[in-house]
Amino acid sequence: MSTSIRQAILLLLLAIVLSAASTGILSDRIPYVGNWPSLAGSNSVIVPPSAVEGDPPFISLDEAAAKYQSPNVIFIDARYPEDYDYGHIKDAINLPYEELEYFWADVTAGMPKSKEYVIYCSGDECESSLFLGREMLYEGYSDVLVFYGGWREWERAGLPTERGK
Amino acid sequence: MNSGSKLLHNDYLGLLLRLFLGVVFVYASIDKIVLPAQFARIIYNYHLVPAELVNIIALLLPWIELVCGVVLILGIYKQGSVLIINLMLVVFAVAVGINMFRGVDLECGCFTVSSKAKSNALVFFLRDLGLLAIGIYLTFNRSTRFNLIKSRS
Repeated sequence: MSTSIRQAILLLLLAIVLSAASTGILSDRIPYVGNWPSLAGSNSVIVPPSAVEGDPPFISLDEAAAKYQSPNVIFIDARYPEDYDYGHIKDAINLPYEELEYFWADVTAGMPKSKEYVIYCSGDECESSLFLGREMLYEGYSDVLVFYGGWREWERAGLPTERGK
Repeated sequence: MNSGSKLLHNDYLGLLLRLFLGVVFVYASIDKIVLPAQFARIIYNYHLVPAELVNIIALLLPWIELVCGVVLILGIYKQGSVLIINLMLVVFAVAVGINMFRGVDLECGCFTVSSKAKSNALVFFLRDLGLLAIGIYLTFNRSTRFNLIKSRS
């Protein structure tokens, strides 16, 4: 066996021993197998830990896909314009939460309050969809839903997407 | 020895890049070792590994980075640590690259788990490739002059 591979194996073993020995001492203890939601469940509604009473309702991928069929529903992408340009749900409108002051007036001009809105961002890590949902409720939009699974679930499911502005 | 070969096996350049790469990996490991739960969440959000493996990776990966970084700085088992580091950098490049293609605004989890700063996958990707270039150089740099333990090759 070559020197580098033998050395690499020894180093990996050392890392395993140190990791096992230190867990819970240098850091908070976490289980070896975490309770992460499986990524396949399109029926499961992801509700972020930061959600509070009065937030817009959260919907699953299946519900979002059903809403997508309705002509009365508009999808809102809350991510940065660069992310939106990389790829977004087909026909979604970009209203970047982090740059709301620059976009709000122009974008909402084309968003009648009579319509229903599904807001999303990148996936479960991103909270822009929730924050934008709160903002829209505050501004008088009444039918606001948050699809927290977002772009990632949508894209994985092979639902309609498009690139560009 | 021609000049290209001299540069490749230059003792001082080898030392400098070895120390640099070692420090980068030690530095990168600390935050993740201290905050495994946050690092696990970042790994989960890459959506590239089965849910069952997320925590194991979160617990193990930073220690691999730390061990490799420390031995690289010391000049012990240089070839082995450079091999592992290069493999890690390739895996990281693929992981970031896939998510860049997916168009996901991602937390890198490269050097910190707590940053909420705007992510830029392209920067992560290019930075990773830069480190990989150093790692590849060190693979072929056979200088042992400053090694704490001078292994045979």
